[in-house]
Amino acid sequence: MAFAEYAWLIPIFPLIAFVVIGFLGNRLFKKWEGGAPVAIGMTAISLILSLVVAFEALTTGDGTPFVQSIEWLVVQSGDFAFTFNMGIYIDNLTALMLIVVSFVATLVVIYSLGYMHEEGEKKRRYYAIISLFISVMLGLVLASNFLQMFIFWELVGLCSYLLIGFWNTRPSAASAAKKAFLVTRIGDIMFMIGLFVLFVGFQGNLDFEYIFANVDAFIGGNDLLTFGTLMIFGGAVGKSAQFPLHDWLPDAMEGPTTVSALIHAATMVKAGVYLVARSYPVMVDTPTTLLVVACIGGFTALFAATMALNNTNIKRVLAYSTISQLGYMFLALGAGGYIYTQTLEPNVGYTAGMFHLMNHAFFKALLFLSAGAVIHAVHTEDMRLMGGLSKKLKITSLVMLIGCISIAGIPPFSGFWSKDLILEAVFEGISVSPVFAVLYAFGLATAFLTAFYMFRLWFMTFSGEPRDQHTYEHAHESPAVMWVPLALLAALAFGSGFAFLFGFEASIVPHGVFEFDHVASAGDLLVAMFTNVLTYASIIVALAGIGLAYLMYKKKSIDPARFTSGTVGKTISNVLLARYGFTKAYDWIGLKVVYGVAKVADFIDRRIIDGIINAISAGLIRAGGFLRRAQTGLVQAYAVVVVAGVSLIVILLFLVGGI
Amino acid sequence: MIPIEYFLALSGILFVIGVIGVLSKRNAIVVLMSIEIMLNAANINFVAFSAYYGNLNGAVFALVSIAIAAAEVAIGLAIIMNLYKTRDTISLDEINLLRW
Repeated sequence: MAFAEYAWLIPIFPLIAFVVIGFLGNRLFKKWEGGAPVAIGMTAISLILSLVVAFEALTTGDGTPFVQSIEWLVVQSGDFAFTFNMGIYIDNLTALMLIVVSFVATLVVIYSLGYMHEEGEKKRRYYAIISLFISVMLGLVLASNFLQMFIFWELVGLCSYLLIGFWNTRPSAASAAKKAFLVTRIGDIMFMIGLFVLFVGFQGNLDFEYIFANVDAFIGGNDLLTFGTLMIFGGAVGKSAQFPLHDWLPDAMEGPTTVSALIHAATMVKAGVYLVARSYPVMVDTPTTLLVVACIGGFTALFAATMALNNTNIKRVLAYSTISQLGYMFLALGAGGYIYTQTLEPNVGYTAGMFHLMNHAFFKALLFLSAGAVIHAVHTEDMRLMGGLSKKLKITSLVMLIGCISIAGIPPFSGFWSKDLILEAVFEGISVSPVFAVLYAFGLATAFLTAFYMFRLWFMTFSGEPRDQHTYEHAHESPAVMWVPLALLAALAFGSGFAFLFGFEASIVPHGVFEFDHVASAGDLLVAMFTNVLTYASIIVALAGIGLAYLMYKKKSIDPARFTSGTVGKTISNVLLARYGFTKAYDWIGLKVVYGVAKVADFIDRRIIDGIINAISAGLIRAGGFLRRAQTGLVQAYAVVVVAGVSLIVILLFLVGGI
Repeated sequence: MIPIEYFLALSGILFVIGVIGVLSKRNAIVVLMSIEIMLNAANINFVAFSAYYGNLNGAVFALVSIAIAAAEVAIGLAIIMNLYKTRDTISLDEINLLRW
């Protein structure tokens, strides 16, 4: 492991960029695009290092992780002692995440050069924070224990908050940032509770290496461990915007599109999935948690997809799609793990989840950045004002089409491979538990809806006649600095799925839990896949979705208004636009419940706790006011007291002292 | 030789006279004089015991005490002078600024 020794440098370089851009003045960076070259350079160095380290880990490792750590905090008090380490933990999962994060980050920073060009002095803040984000995200991926991971977990949350609120003079952006921060905070608190449980159960050792090797050493019983892992999953729910903490992600689209692409599609929201995958060796001891993971994932996948159906904001549709796809990943992880706990047979659930994570990072970043190019061209996010843009934005429309096909799951584009693998993994579970039949139906329905709303988006944006002549005339193709990253991402969105044929399945398995005895060759995998009837089921539903979108929005032979005209249709449509009332519910909880509790706490604090203190002080003040009368200011009065006191002492000495 | 009790009685009487003067007189100069009487009562004690024990330490201490008394009177009178200049009075009843 020659290069892995230097893996700790990976997060350091973007951090240097953050310090340099963030703490040196505006004047210096005025000519330099607000420090963009520094950010790009440092991120690129990280990318190269990440690729080298990841390549080494994937090719030379035998599955045992490379761990390197230093003692960070040593606590010793009597028999009670523990040590917190800071370090790096590199296995195949880390390698995969490193590739995804640093690659997408580099492309997004380059793309920002074009997209953020008109932001003026604010650019410096943007590049500083995005460098910090890249640094802490890479740190999160490399963390060697749960506490270190939690620290970086909070830091990415902070960067997310700062970047969602980038246009901080817009009230909607400011409140979206606060919402994102507070809602994910609920998850973070659950994560923290989970850490407390693990901390107690593993007697103060939170190192991945120790915990994964000694899951049996947990003291407190399986119920407590189940509670702990459930709470850790709660953290993932918050970060990855799963039901019921999903509502912050659509609002997070108030930030710049580059931020949405990097943080809210490709990397940060994947941290939750990564956390569950990382905790796999612990979670396989708690089947209940895994079942919950699968159910929440499956439900969220369908639930979020429905909300994307009639939204007209191009970024919001992509946000719902992100939530839905993250649900897929949780579904795969949960299903694979649960099936393993019941049958003890290796299965592809875990691999499928991580595979989809990788593919999704590429095609969703591509979709977001293409949407960004469209927004850059027409200066609106409302799809009703677009249309016919493919004539003006040739490259953008082409790469976005690749992204749409990929996410819809048409072979041989990347989304097909992972989505099919997920559905296959869930289908396997039907023999274990009937719940999985429902989840499989959810997954299949989601595949249909995904194909439909993605192509609805594409047709509404790029095909047909321009709906708003003014925006159409001003539209222009993006500069090369924007479309080159798009082209690179498009190549990956098309091709990253082939990793499956070249040993992905063998590399990304939960080491320490199970391994595949023998790995099929590319040809066998292809044959197995295309002789399976399930594969055709998922292709057919995807094609059906695309076909429906084509009929409704391209050929217009089915009028979309037909679905919203009747009372039922109108109600459903309004419910979807109101996000099933979740926004209202959050507000209600915030205003009524939290504010009510706060008022009670305020009353206790002000009236009861402060009241006691104030009563004591008021009593003392009154006593002092009474006693100060003794100070008359007359020197003779004092002299009287002195003489009386001395006399008294002398008399007492005579009486008691026995002189 | 006069018995020491006589000296002590004289000193005690002088001291009490001084105390009564300090406590009851209003005029600051009279109070200062009363303090001198108290000091002299103490000096008589020093000298008396010095003679009684045949040890000169007490007599020496009495001399020191007289020197200190002289200095103290100088300071005290200066204070009273300033008091009179600023407040037009040396009556201790009216000098009560340092109160609650």
